[in-house]
Amino acid sequence: MLIVEGLDVRYGGITALRGVSVRVDEGETVLLVGANGAGKSSLINAVIGTVPSVAGFVRFQGRDLGGMTVDRRARAGIGYSPEGRRVFASMSVLDNVLAGAFGVGRQRQREAWDWLCSVFPILAERQAQPAGQLSGGQQQIVAFARAMASFPPLLLLDEPFLGLAPVWIKNISDAIRALQARGTTILMTEQMARPALKLATRGYVMRGGEVRREGPVGVIRDVALAEEYL
Amino acid sequence: MTSFVTATLIGVSLGAQYALLALGFTLIFGILGVVNFAHGGFYVLGGYAAYWFVSAAGLPYPLAVVLATLVTGILGYLFELLLIERLVDDHLATLMLTLGLYLMLSTGILITFGPESPLFEFPLNGTLRAGPFYFPIANLVVLAVCLLAILGVYALIFRTDLGRALRALADDRQVAAAQGLRPRLLFPLAFALACGLAGMTGALVTPILSLAPHVGDPVLATSFLIVILGGLGSIGGATVAAFLVGLVEAYSSVYLGGSKGALALFVLVLIILVVRPSGLFGRIAREA
Repeated sequence: MLIVEGLDVRYGGITALRGVSVRVDEGETVLLVGANGAGKSSLINAVIGTVPSVAGFVRFQGRDLGGMTVDRRARAGIGYSPEGRRVFASMSVLDNVLAGAFGVGRQRQREAWDWLCSVFPILAERQAQPAGQLSGGQQQIVAFARAMASFPPLLLLDEPFLGLAPVWIKNISDAIRALQARGTTILMTEQMARPALKLATRGYVMRGGEVRREGPVGVIRDVALAEEYL
Repeated sequence: MTSFVTATLIGVSLGAQYALLALGFTLIFGILGVVNFAHGGFYVLGGYAAYWFVSAAGLPYPLAVVLATLVTGILGYLFELLLIERLVDDHLATLMLTLGLYLMLSTGILITFGPESPLFEFPLNGTLRAGPFYFPIANLVVLAVCLLAILGVYALIFRTDLGRALRALADDRQVAAAQGLRPRLLFPLAFALACGLAGMTGALVTPILSLAPHVGDPVLATSFLIVILGGLGSIGGATVAAFLVGLVEAYSSVYLGGSKGALALFVLVLIILVVRPSGLFGRIAREA
């Protein structure tokens, strides 16, 4: 579904990614682990298009994403939940979620909202509240729901557990399982690899802007343990 | 008592006009991050366009107002699409572009229509009498239309998909685009809306106040002041601040005399900004 091949990303003179190749097949949940600055978020950003790549390519469902704007990539079927959640702080929870389903018609927005509320009951409870007033975990749910509102086949989750209390880590894990059950393909990054490893099917270990190891989740767990990411 | 009621009505009328102008101004700032120095130019253009449609094309005034709104809106759309869009993140460049457009608009109007005020009068005259109070019918009609337009803008921004998308882009452009919202489609639309509002206000108000090539200057200054007072980019703030400024202007011109009105206004703004530097309704800072 997603193929990243030989990707180089630079910020100014600093190389953030060097020759990174990653693939995500349909129905998989792929985890990127690594320390802060390893290049996990740079890879996510290069896929959605918020940072330009200088070499290599990103292909999604057979289409080369090179040269496509961020909004076109999103409409091509990539959902994105950013690091730090970045909810629309002044907008209500409902408006946040529906902003992720622009122009699909009231009927489909209604269906999306009802399904998301059945998975994340907190949405219905906080419907009219400005998202900026919610707790970190609640905001993470809003960011998920916003990314899922158009039911994209591929979902990018950048550090979904960052800074959350344990009770929310369990909630978010349950939410991700609900998305998996719907058949959503997921590419996620996580510094807190332990809860994320329970969700993933496969993974990549990144360090210094390069992929160091790839393999099934068991292998990734062993490497991550050895390199003290857990 | 009579003068107080009259001043209040004038203040509310002014406030409604200012609100329409300031809403457009704050939308452009909030959504695109651009300070539109040409805003007053679209007000003047709206006035002259309506004047031309009435006097040269012989159309009825209400239709002229609608057409003036469309003309200024379309011009704003093209201006954003062809010029602003390429440089939208460059504050200095957009400042020069919008300032340049303002000079072109006002000079173009000066060359086309001449420096004198044309004879452009509101088609309704007469006054409404209620006890000791007299209200000019023209002002009441303009007030009603302005209030309806304000409600329309609110409905658009807070009740439609388009408005939701615009608010999302204003809040966090990058994340909004990553949810599939198209800046290249929505930015020109936002600009068209703002310029159309300015043009409509010009078409409605200049027959009552005055029409001349330079009347856009105070419009820009007032819009700027209201938007800063209300909190940059805040829609509710701009509306409240517009009525506040309208009322202050009206009361001070009645009770303090004409030239002291501006002084009173700036003192008020100064005090408010010292107490609340981000304006009355400055944005809530994002929580991490």
